[in-house]
Amino acid sequence: MSAVPAAGLRRRRDRVAVALRVWSIAVYVFLFLPILVIVVYSFNQGRVLLAWNGFGLEGYRTGIADNVIVDAIKTSIAVAAGTAVIATILGSFAGIALARRKGRWTPIFLLLVFIILVTPEIVDAIALLIWYVRIGGPFGPDVTIPAVSYGILRLWVGHSLFATAVVTLIVRARLEGLEESLEEAAADLYAPPGRRFRQITLPLMLPAVLAGALLSFSFSLDDTIISSFVSAAGASPWPVVVFSSLRSVLRPEIASVSTLLLLLTLFAIACVALVLRRGGQSGEEVAKTMTVGG
Amino acid sequence: MAQRVAESERGSRRIRAPRFVMALPAWIWFAFFFTIPVLWIAYYSFGYKPNIFSTIATDKLTFDRYSEALSPEFLHVFKQTLQISLLGTLLTLLIGFPFAYWLATRVAERWRGVLLGLVIVPFFVNFLVRTVGWLILLSPGGPLSTLLLRWGIRDQPIHLLQTRGAVQLGVVYNYLALMIFPLFVALDRLDPALREASKDLGASRWRTFRQVTLPLAAPGIVAGLLLVFIPLTGDYITAAVLGGAKGNMAGALVASQFTTAQNWALGAAQAVILIIMILGTVALFALLGLAIRTTARRTRRITLPAPIERAT
Repeated sequence: MSAVPAAGLRRRRDRVAVALRVWSIAVYVFLFLPILVIVVYSFNQGRVLLAWNGFGLEGYRTGIADNVIVDAIKTSIAVAAGTAVIATILGSFAGIALARRKGRWTPIFLLLVFIILVTPEIVDAIALLIWYVRIGGPFGPDVTIPAVSYGILRLWVGHSLFATAVVTLIVRARLEGLEESLEEAAADLYAPPGRRFRQITLPLMLPAVLAGALLSFSFSLDDTIISSFVSAAGASPWPVVVFSSLRSVLRPEIASVSTLLLLLTLFAIACVALVLRRGGQSGEEVAKTMTVGG
Repeated sequence: MAQRVAESERGSRRIRAPRFVMALPAWIWFAFFFTIPVLWIAYYSFGYKPNIFSTIATDKLTFDRYSEALSPEFLHVFKQTLQISLLGTLLTLLIGFPFAYWLATRVAERWRGVLLGLVIVPFFVNFLVRTVGWLILLSPGGPLSTLLLRWGIRDQPIHLLQTRGAVQLGVVYNYLALMIFPLFVALDRLDPALREASKDLGASRWRTFRQVTLPLAAPGIVAGLLLVFIPLTGDYITAAVLGGAKGNMAGALVASQFTTAQNWALGAAQAVILIIMILGTVALFALLGLAIRTTARRTRRITLPAPIERAT
């Protein structure tokens, strides 16, 4: 056993390392390949996305002039922003309670959160559809609240469920990782609860809240199934428009607008990463906060 | 729910409100928009479609929708869905594990953040659009086909779309990140000293992997499997884009009852069967996992001079 020459061991070692590295590069290629294709085909000059017909900016020009597409993007952004607000508020308080006010209720609540996280979207979608039709009110076409159409309201609520569950877990993870001693010290120094929260707890949990808001926003933008079930005519978000164009003809505009959206999203993420970095997190911590919430 | 008022554990605290009060808004939100609506599906699954103009009636409750939903043509789709999702979940694990292992153990710490961040970038492109990317790639006139023709590897365009293989590829792609993240977190937490200790004690690399790394990464593996398997089983969008009729998934059955057939009772029954299928599979594998762990513990038990009780 011990007679393995050092050089032989070295070579074996390297073989595993090289294999792992090659595998990982292949995974990155796999992950980026279709995105690259979308970006390249966004410059397709033809009228049909699947048939390449020369390089040009026609897709971008018609894409940003198309009313249906522009409205869909506006709807999507309004829905995503509302979802992020609802989920961040509800989820942050639930996360604080889970980390700082443990009790017999904690496991039951956590179980509910996990169930929401793993419920297939189609189940959420039909449950919400059935429920909205059943309860009507502001969720139906008959009652109108000024400024908020029932379609938008339905989407806000529908998207906020999963997003709230995500924010809850991220905020809880962040606070669980921090000792309660700072808050206790503030209390010992006679800081009233409101001030304690503002000056100690809130700054501590802020990275998690930001990450949660960002994830909620991007989840809402990404959602197709719930949106296609509960959205109302005239307030179709972007994925619903893409899905319906799949049934007719896919035009290059879809790829062009998607590329623009990707750039916009990357910019937003870079901003959040910068804020987290300023807050003193290392690169790895920033990436972890934004992807897995840890 | 009659929860007790929190007794203050520390003298300095005087909290009179129940301890869950800050979670109450979320709790009400979930109850009203998740728990009750999902239970309503179960209720509707016992209803029926009274006429072509109405979607649902529940004045007579029957089990008939369940026998309809379990008819051979639908049962075939459920079986196919389970096959695609089980194989897809396994493939994401096989692809994701070496990758997550590499990222957590072989990459210098200052690069880890950037490389982990790179994994999510593709997922900021819309789910559907990402799948359309594969649609372009795999289409007979697409880049892959063109290259293969030009290099003379094939003499006719490829026909990968509308096949089960395309659906399988699509779901693996769309859910891979959900496997990588929990695996990475678990492997990243693993102290390198443990692997070194194992090596110093004379274990081979394979044995270290099997007996140190793998058991310690198990929570991450389980989390990844659940995070991929459950939503993947309910997904039908990927299959709709890449598979056409060949990739009919259970989610599509449910969706079509609500969007085109307008038979909510049947759709609800199919949704309930889908949920039962998912939970049943998870339970089965959980039992299997427990059995394996118990036997592994029994066969590999080490008797220490002074027995140490482990609280688990």
